[in-house]
Formats: sequence, structure tokens, C-alpha cells
Amino acid sequence: MSLYILPILFLFIFVYSHFKKVNTYDTFIQGAKKSIPLVIDIFPYIAAIMIAVALLRYSGITTLLAQWTSPIFNFLGIPTELIELVLLRPFTGSGSYALLNDVLVAYGADSYISRCACVILGCSETIFYVTTIYMSQTKVKKLLYAIPVALVCSTVGSILACLLCRIM
Amino acid sequence: MNRIWLVMILLSICFLLWSDPGSVLSEMLDASSQALSLSAQLCAVYAVWMGILELVQASGLSQKLAKILHPVIKKVFNVKDPETEALIAMNISANMLGLGNASTPLAIKAMKRMDTGSPVASPAMIMLIVINATSIQLLPTTVIGLRQAAGSTSAADIILPTLITTVCTTVLAIVLVKLCHKIFKRRQK
Repeated sequence: MSLYILPILFLFIFVYSHFKKVNTYDTFIQGAKKSIPLVIDIFPYIAAIMIAVALLRYSGITTLLAQWTSPIFNFLGIPTELIELVLLRPFTGSGSYALLNDVLVAYGADSYISRCACVILGCSETIFYVTTIYMSQTKVKKLLYAIPVALVCSTVGSILACLLCRIM
Repeated sequence: MNRIWLVMILLSICFLLWSDPGSVLSEMLDASSQALSLSAQLCAVYAVWMGILELVQASGLSQKLAKILHPVIKKVFNVKDPETEALIAMNISANMLGLGNASTPLAIKAMKRMDTGSPVASPAMIMLIVINATSIQLLPTTVIGLRQAAGSTSAADIILPTLITTVCTTVLAIVLVKLCHKIFKRRQK
């Protein structure tokens, strides 16, 4: 089912544009052209956050942090095996997908731990990464309460995910 | 962000000084070249999506979508500019379908339009960040794909819990942002 959604959506967009007398080829080029300056602009932001995350993981701080905070997370219903995932998720997309894959392989794709990990990943976002990239083209320096609120919401999401996977 | 990044870097370097000082530079270079290859991939992905999105905008589909979502967006974001509203509408729709790569350039454009040059983020900007962080997921495509690849017998049975969780967190996000906004306003007075 989900396989058909995108092709049909694309088909609809092209046909609709054609009937609205839009030059599909020229317009597509116009849009695609903007991807290069955009990526050049956001590359330094991506590099900075990936460097910080690589150092954090390689130095072993994340594993230490996972050990220290495990009583708190266990109290909230989040299994010890998933703490590193929950901690790293706000910073790195590719890193957390790699961690998810490790979990899937280690515990089996249909286990409780794996299902939890999947739902946690599905309902959370790489908050720090996304925020720096979103704001990269603006002059905004102060985000006030944006990041704390986003972190609270995704933590609540993780707790809820573990709870729902237990009963569903 | 400045402080968080500095703390991450300083802590890691201090730890590595003690355990493996030779690896600091090589780890940084490694990460940077990973970032470069990720950017190259993103450039290709964005070229496809931004091409399609340009069509969506030129054909007037984006305005149609914005009209449908107008009551919700008006209540939640309170933005005046119709173009920004259309960008936000497309960003949220792309997010719902699990198309993170399509939603990113839209959010960047929306933020750029909302930028007034002030160094402090507006409530609508904060709302966009937080809603993107909790984004309602109808189809968590990447996760399902990974799970299928790992040999799951019913890879799609995470859709429902994911949907419930994201609906809850999104509602929570909207309430919290509105609440924080009120507290901040009161403090300034």
C-alpha cells in the first residue's frame, strides 16, 4: 500500500501542473537548482554537529552517561538497552539509525526492545541538528524555550512509546 | 546552541586526552568527511524534492493545501503571510508522510520568510521547531524498512503505536509552547 503513495502523488503533481499550464521541465530545474546553494549553506552546520557527536561517542561519554542515568530511565519505563538511543537521538539521525539497526540485530526484529526502539525513533526527531539547520538562514540567535520544550515532548514520547509497546 | 556545542566538544576532548589523545583529530576529520558525503547525498535528495516542490508551488497545489489546513495553522502558528502559511502546510504534510528530507528545505524557507532580523525567535518559529520535533507520523517509512530488512514478520505493527504517541506529543507540544509563550510575555511586563 505505502509503496504506491509516492508514485501516485508524483504522477498527480506532474499531471496537475501540466493542466495548470506550468512548464514542468523548466519549473523542476528552477527548484532543483536551489538545492546546491542550500547544501553549501548548511554543510558547516552538519559538520559541526557530526564532529561533536563523533567525539562524544568515541570518548565513551555517552556509554558512561547511559550507565549513570539508567536508574532514572528505568524508573520512567525505558529499558537500559535503549538509553543510548534515547540520549543520542536529538543529535544525530544517521547515528541513531545505526543504533536502531544494532538493536534490531541483537534482540531480533520482533522483540519488545526492538519494537520500542522503532516507535521511539518514529516519534522523535534530531532536535539539535534540525534546529541548527532550520535557523541557519536567519539572524535568530536566541531560541528561548524551543529546545527544552522539544526535549520534554520527545522524552514523554519515549516513555509513552515503551508503555504502548507493552500493551499493544 | 553555542554553549551546548562547546560543552560537548570540551568534555569529549578532556576525556580523550586521558584515554586516547591521538584519536582526537582523526575522529574530527572522519566526522567531517562523513558530513561531506551526507551533504552530497542530501544535495541529490533535495534536488529531486525541491524540483517537485517548485512544481507544487507553481501549479497552485500548495495554496490549496494551505487553504485546507488554514484553520489549524492559523490557530497554532498565527502567521499572517499566506506564502509562509503554504510552506508550513507543506512542511507538516511532508513530515506526516515520513518524508523528513522533503520537509527540511520547506522549513528552512519558512524560517527565512519569518525572519525579521531580530536575534530572538518569534513564537511561530518556536512552534515550527517544536512541531517538527514531535511531528505526527502516518507512515514511519525508514523505520519500517529497517525493521523489514532485519527479518520482522509484521514490520508494520509499529504504525499504530507511533501514530498514537506522535499525536499525544504534538498536542503536548502545542500546549507547552502556548503556555511558555504566555509565561514569557508576563515576565517581560
